[in-house]
Amino acid sequence: MKSLKTLAVLIALFIAVPLFIVVPMSFSANASLQFPPSAYWWGNYQHFFSDINWMQPLFNSLYIGLATTLLTLALAIPASFALVRHYFIGRTALNLLLMLPMIVPQIVMALGYYLYFGRLHLTQSFTGIIIVHTCLGIPVATLILTAALRSFDANLEHAAHSLGAPALTTFWLVTLPVLRPAVLVAGLFAFIQSFDETVIAVFISGRDTATLPRQMFNSFRMEADPVISAASSFLFILVLAALLLPLAVRLTRRSSGSAAGHLAR
Amino acid sequence: MNETSSLQGADGVPRPGGTTAAAGLLRALLKGPLPLYLPAALFLLAFFIVPLGYVVVMSLTEPRPGLGNFTALLGSRHFLMVLLQTLQTAALVTVCALLLGYPLAYVAAGPARRLGGVLLGVIALSFWTSFLVRTYAWMVIFGRQGPLSHWLASLGWRPPPSLLFTSTGATVAMTHAMVPFMVMAVYAVMKRIDERYVRAAQSLGAHPLRAFALVYLPLSLPGVVNGCTLVFITTLGFYVMPVLLGSPNQQMISGVIGDQIEQVLDFGAASAMSVILLLVVLALFWLYHRFVGLDRLWSR
Repeated sequence: MKSLKTLAVLIALFIAVPLFIVVPMSFSANASLQFPPSAYWWGNYQHFFSDINWMQPLFNSLYIGLATTLLTLALAIPASFALVRHYFIGRTALNLLLMLPMIVPQIVMALGYYLYFGRLHLTQSFTGIIIVHTCLGIPVATLILTAALRSFDANLEHAAHSLGAPALTTFWLVTLPVLRPAVLVAGLFAFIQSFDETVIAVFISGRDTATLPRQMFNSFRMEADPVISAASSFLFILVLAALLLPLAVRLTRRSSGSAAGHLAR
Repeated sequence: MNETSSLQGADGVPRPGGTTAAAGLLRALLKGPLPLYLPAALFLLAFFIVPLGYVVVMSLTEPRPGLGNFTALLGSRHFLMVLLQTLQTAALVTVCALLLGYPLAYVAAGPARRLGGVLLGVIALSFWTSFLVRTYAWMVIFGRQGPLSHWLASLGWRPPPSLLFTSTGATVAMTHAMVPFMVMAVYAVMKRIDERYVRAAQSLGAHPLRAFALVYLPLSLPGVVNGCTLVFITTLGFYVMPVLLGSPNQQMISGVIGDQIEQVLDFGAASAMSVILLLVVLALFWLYHRFVGLDRLWSR
């Protein structure tokens, strides 16, 4: 067991160490991909946050991700209710349809949208990318929501109903609050999926509607822009902070909160 | 809804019977699940199935109707090599991800709580980090002035090889990216294995290794099948990493399709390749469905 633990730690290091390399690289003053860098500076971040060619895609991505999240939830929440609470002809087919965007390789859809949106004049438009990302977000949102709905205690709704609440009131005051964590997680997945999507955005988004992944992908291809290191490190630190934040909160609560907890009781 | 209201319109005038039946049917449908799923279904039909249909139609009609694109591709040595290379790479990535992911998931699902938490934290960190960020990290590592070259040079390998723009480099990076998927699929199953089975086998005299091989391993197999299916199919369609890190001479199928769209502008060939890739993926899902059941792949 001891050697097995060592093995697991080594594998975890193989997963973690390459990721952390992007942080020192973002402070590198070298123009080339030299590691370790021979000199350090803040310049890459200054360029990243002041260059319209990077900030525009960042804000585009945020806007597209937010719109995608709302549209995905608006479509996936009712569909999940239908899947879990009703039996009807074509339910299996519907389930398959909702999962399909997760199965079809993205390059196939990139070609499909390239052809289809060309005809609809939706290439290089925000609407087009939001539509695409919503299609890709529906499967994972549906999975999370149906899983939560299956474990939902229907007695809560019966209780509200028997106390005289109309169906819509019951939905707003009982059903939705209970499902709130699942809705938040589903929305988060839809947002990150959109914020991360590269392949289709590379083929259908134009200069003005470029997303951050598209800008990063193109700058990788040119192999010229050291600002890419700041962009990468920025995204990585965002994820790292999001993961460490709950841990830090719990630790501070435990150390300073145990005495206070006793007093409060 | 009572009898009279369904026989009379809002203005109280009786309607002809046919309309009433239709209105009744409509009302029944509106009370049922239809309005709940119709928006999502129509959205996906209009914006997912139709563009997918465009690819299929294009593969059969461009430049002229028939199966010409497919016979040309399947007769092309180059394309068959690309297809074979893609399948081989996906298989290799799947095996490597399993070899790395299984022990990690095993320890994470085991009794060491704190270590397990750290291991899962690392997996989550990698899972949530953008693919492009991970790609960038490997560009640095494999680069001519990267740490790997430094290390190999210090071992006396001169000139040190650079793995950047080689298919080996792309395979390592894809494996690194796929380990989290594998761990999550395997861990989900391992977490539910009752460890008393293994202890029972050991108390009956089985060597720990034997107890693992005969009791634990078979119980964890559903997770292994799930993980391998997901990783293999995802790797088949990988675009970003092979294009940015891999060798231009040994492309995977997604990269070739991308070139056809962007540079060659041969939409007939690109569509036919896409249809072939799609058929391979769907066939694998069908096999999985046949033997395991598709609803088990994602649901816990």
